[in-house]
Amino acid sequence: MTRYIIRRFLGLFPTLLIIITISFFIIRIAPGGPFDSEKTLPKQIMENIEKKYHLDEPLLKQYARYMISVMRGDLGPSYRYKDQDVNYYIGKSLPNSLILGSIAMTISLVLGILAGMISALRQNTWVDYLVMSVAIIGITIPLFVIGPVLVYIFAMKLGWLPTSGWFTGRYGWVTLIMPVITLSADKFAYIARLSRASILEILRSDYIRTARAKGLKNSTILFKHVLKGGLLPVVSYLGPAFSAVLTGSIVVETVFRVPGLGKFFVQSALNRDYTLILGTVIVYSVILIIMNFVVDIIYAYLDPRISYK
Amino acid sequence: MMKKILFLFLILLVVAGSVFAGGKKEAAKEKAEFLVWNQAEPQSLDWHQIEGVPEHRIYYSLGEGLVTSDPDTAEPLPGVAESWDVDSSGLIYTFHLRKTTWSDGVPITAKTFVDSWLRVLNPETAAPYAWFPADVIAGAAAYNSGEAGPESVKIKAVDDSTFQVELVGAMPAIVSAFSHYAFAIVPTHAIAKNPDSWTQPENYVGNGPFVLESWEPQDKLTVVPNDKYWDKKTVKLDRIVYIPTDDDNVGFNMYLNGEVDWAPEVPLAQLESVKLMDDYVVAPYLGVYYYIFQVEKEPVNDVRVRKALSMGLDRDTLVKKVTGAGETAAYSMVPPMAGYKPTPGVKGTIDDAKKLLAEAGYPGGKGFPEIEILYNTSDRHLKIAEFVQEQWEKNLGIKCTLVNQEWKTYLDTRKQGEFMVARAGWIADYPDPSTFLEMFGSGKAMNGGKYSNKIFDENMEAAARMAPGPERFAKLRKAEDVFITEDHGVMPIYHYVSQSMIDTNKWGGWYPNAMDWHPTKFIYKK
Amino acid sequence: MSSEEIKKTALNEFDQPVKGVSLWNDAWKRLKKNKMAMFGMYVVVFYILISVFAPLLPIYSFKHQVIDHQFLPPSLTKNAGQLYYEKTERQFQALADKEKRPLSEEELSELESIKSRIDTETEIVDGKEVKIHHKRYLFGTDYLGRDLLARVIYGGQISIAIGFIGTVTSVFIGIVLGAIAGYVGGKVDYIIMRIVDVIYGLPYMMLVIIFMAIFGKNILNLFFALAIVSWLTVARVVRGQIMSLKNSEFVEAAKCSGAGTFRIIFKHLLPNTLGVIIVFSTLRIPTFIMLEAFLSFLGLGVSAPLASWGSLVGQAVDGMNLYPWRLFFPAATMTLFLFGMNFLGDGLRDAFDPQGKNRF
Repeated sequence: MTRYIIRRFLGLFPTLLIIITISFFIIRIAPGGPFDSEKTLPKQIMENIEKKYHLDEPLLKQYARYMISVMRGDLGPSYRYKDQDVNYYIGKSLPNSLILGSIAMTISLVLGILAGMISALRQNTWVDYLVMSVAIIGITIPLFVIGPVLVYIFAMKLGWLPTSGWFTGRYGWVTLIMPVITLSADKFAYIARLSRASILEILRSDYIRTARAKGLKNSTILFKHVLKGGLLPVVSYLGPAFSAVLTGSIVVETVFRVPGLGKFFVQSALNRDYTLILGTVIVYSVILIIMNFVVDIIYAYLDPRISYK
Repeated sequence: MMKKILFLFLILLVVAGSVFAGGKKEAAKEKAEFLVWNQAEPQSLDWHQIEGVPEHRIYYSLGEGLVTSDPDTAEPLPGVAESWDVDSSGLIYTFHLRKTTWSDGVPITAKTFVDSWLRVLNPETAAPYAWFPADVIAGAAAYNSGEAGPESVKIKAVDDSTFQVELVGAMPAIVSAFSHYAFAIVPTHAIAKNPDSWTQPENYVGNGPFVLESWEPQDKLTVVPNDKYWDKKTVKLDRIVYIPTDDDNVGFNMYLNGEVDWAPEVPLAQLESVKLMDDYVVAPYLGVYYYIFQVEKEPVNDVRVRKALSMGLDRDTLVKKVTGAGETAAYSMVPPMAGYKPTPGVKGTIDDAKKLLAEAGYPGGKGFPEIEILYNTSDRHLKIAEFVQEQWEKNLGIKCTLVNQEWKTYLDTRKQGEFMVARAGWIADYPDPSTFLEMFGSGKAMNGGKYSNKIFDENMEAAARMAPGPERFAKLRKAEDVFITEDHGVMPIYHYVSQSMIDTNKWGGWYPNAMDWHPTKFIYKK
Repeated sequence: MSSEEIKKTALNEFDQPVKGVSLWNDAWKRLKKNKMAMFGMYVVVFYILISVFAPLLPIYSFKHQVIDHQFLPPSLTKNAGQLYYEKTERQFQALADKEKRPLSEEELSELESIKSRIDTETEIVDGKEVKIHHKRYLFGTDYLGRDLLARVIYGGQISIAIGFIGTVTSVFIGIVLGAIAGYVGGKVDYIIMRIVDVIYGLPYMMLVIIFMAIFGKNILNLFFALAIVSWLTVARVVRGQIMSLKNSEFVEAAKCSGAGTFRIIFKHLLPNTLGVIIVFSTLRIPTFIMLEAFLSFLGLGVSAPLASWGSLVGQAVDGMNLYPWRLFFPAATMTLFLFGMNFLGDGLRDAFDPQGKNRF
């Protein structure tokens, strides 16, 4: 196990290197560049700008320059937001996304597993149908609809909450309510549906029947065996889901004006802000690789039958 | 294991929490605070690095050049220059500067202007808008291209309070152009001290009516009055908050909910209700929405086809029902402006269009190849393109497909000329017809439609070297006649209006104008 | 899975024809008893039939514009002309109220002219003369006066196809790779999972933009753009399940009886995770439908004036306060379909699992 962990940890670096390298070269193939705009810049001005950012050098040299600076922990200047570098923008926005994402994820996890469990234990009763219907609605209605609908009801019609903002003025943490609900909706649904399905599988398995035959108490069986085994697919889903949520959601951040990292994923690509794209890629990949790594370790904890040799 | 993870996670939360808890104190709204929905996060507060409208709005608060602009008419008003005069050739302008200082007390002199303008032109600054001074100031282009040193630029500090500029040609409205941020001054002394962080609130030095108070990326940027400003008695607002969001529904909802005081844009889908509101302000705006033809591609290489397509579109219904904010149907590239009567353009009935199409070899649209309309992804462009598509199919029997691309891909496709018909729009950089026409000269970088006509080029060149006046306008008009009415190189669709939401009973000093320029120093709470 | 069941499955293979049919029969019987699943099945079948036979249905064209009929609300009782008249009258009245004046001459005469046009104005559609204001819009109309019902139906064609393509690719690639990684383990697992990490990490939006620039816009490319990412999470989920089951007794038993790797994976392991896989696949359908709308934004989706459910919903969010039906109908249509899919999925899972009668 220890060897497995060390190997996986060391594996982080080559994986990251591959991701950065592929990304670095492919994004340059995309049509348009960071400094193109409605008004085509005169050739001379464009050359001046490219020279300033070393974009006139051969691509391999640029790659070497970039990798050296990344190893020093410097993600380079942003081509769009010129007053600060990529480190600054990520440092400013990532904490906001982390806060929002972790609150939303915690809520969806707790409620989702609870709902899934209730549903599974009362399979094919009205409780089950009700819970699952809520979950399906949660996943069917896209975030970009849930968000504006919430704004329309609670801000525009009832006037209870501000339309958007992030800890703005007198509102404080209240501004978190709608983004958290919006962000949780589909994660809750996924978790509820997945845990219901896998708890049902476990309930049918041999060892639960054996446990019951042995006369163990229902609650013991439920928490010791069923829940542990039932969480497996949820945990698999959580790896990618967690990394996506922690690094921010463009939709939620746009609708509620959350100054998070999610917007940069989309905007940097649309702006061809190469360094910012790579910055977001690096942040996301690191979190994702670590999350998937953690997930693999949790597997072994949840299910003793899983072992890594 | 699980506990450890949870523990780590908690630590992460606490750390993250303490990071943002620091900068989030804000006074309740008691003073004259003006909140602006500014459509995008500013790219920079270094005026030599910006190129967009949101930055321009901030420039009006934090910066000021030789002149500023009148909030009502957009005409130039004295800024750092108290007065100015021009010699008989119309080429040499002399500005008399007032005694004033930066917000840190360092005096602003004629040398400040020389240093700043040389900075914007310096190739190492790589200023995106450097083309503007390079185009108008004598010797500036050579310095910007690296062919000559800074000494070639014909600007000079005669003494501390006298600044002289020599122009390439007698450009009309040049003084108005000097209010543009491309001619801004920057605090070179402050930049030397903090080259990488001088635009941060703690280091910021400016000379505008306001100074930078705070700047949280993607959240807000606030400014407060500048004590050292020469005209500080005019400045009435206690604070301006610029809130960036590029989603027009989010911005508009903030306005409706009283979270911002000025919305510089209205979502197309809300027009029906907005028109009934008292604080909806519409004004003609110097801009044109048009479709470009790639004149080398079949079948639009035939001028008869181009004219037929243009006649086959009912612009009146389009502006009334599809855009609907009071835009005017356009047949000329240049919107009507003082002293300039635009070309009549191509007008005709559907029957005329069919006749032209038949002459071109496609009677009733038969045999006409399927054409493509290229546009960048946006609600407005989609709606217009769908309308045009249906019109051409119904009126002319022509089938067309719609192709949308995201912004940068679209720009690239358009620049390369890889299209047949493409949507485009143009907003005046300065109030003069030439800004709408010069980009269509043969071989110009922006001329993706590959339009080329000697007569057009000759007239444009002649006009560039002429003094302002009716003769110059006649040359420009001739060029436009050739370009639009004869060759129909592009198909104008409508002339813009600017739309704002602002309660003018509450806020004074804000006026609609043809440039949509709104200097904040004049705004006050009634 | 119990040991008896393994025996039963094994037996099945020896006398296929008789038992095989009865397995399907049994499943069908069980499915029929499950009300929600039957409901789900009817819904899905209904949607598929509507989509396939859309061109034969007596509906209006999805792209024909009647510009007078912009933003008409849905109505069962009133025809388009009446709605158009009422809407115009309401607008004029509101404007007059704002300016504190009675209706002007001009406005009154325009209302009169609308009234007279209702029964007389005709237009030629598909070679037939139609009284244009006698149309009835059950779902209302959009910003160019197009019939929303037709747009929703044609949108369904695309979105349902997208949903299935996404599911099929994720099932094929995701299950195969996930199962191999989980079962074989070791280096193979390590490499497959690192590939998954790398693909997750790449900037997807840029990939799509580049892909589009190189290969252009068509429906196959759209499917491909969906397929590259659709299988990743499925692979991880399946791998997790397989890893947990591969040391079970029944796998040992199968190994002892000489079954090969692929046989063990596909005959013994996958059926035991089918529930999770089905649920996960049905859950992903809305993601694919929305992904299509996002790809449309980048220019890879369907071409206007055709619209998918995703883009119909996306466009309707702006102005939902004024024209709620534009959001409601596409969204409700889509939700109903996904309900159907989810319940059908659950039902199928139960139907194919004879041991499913356990209650805790």
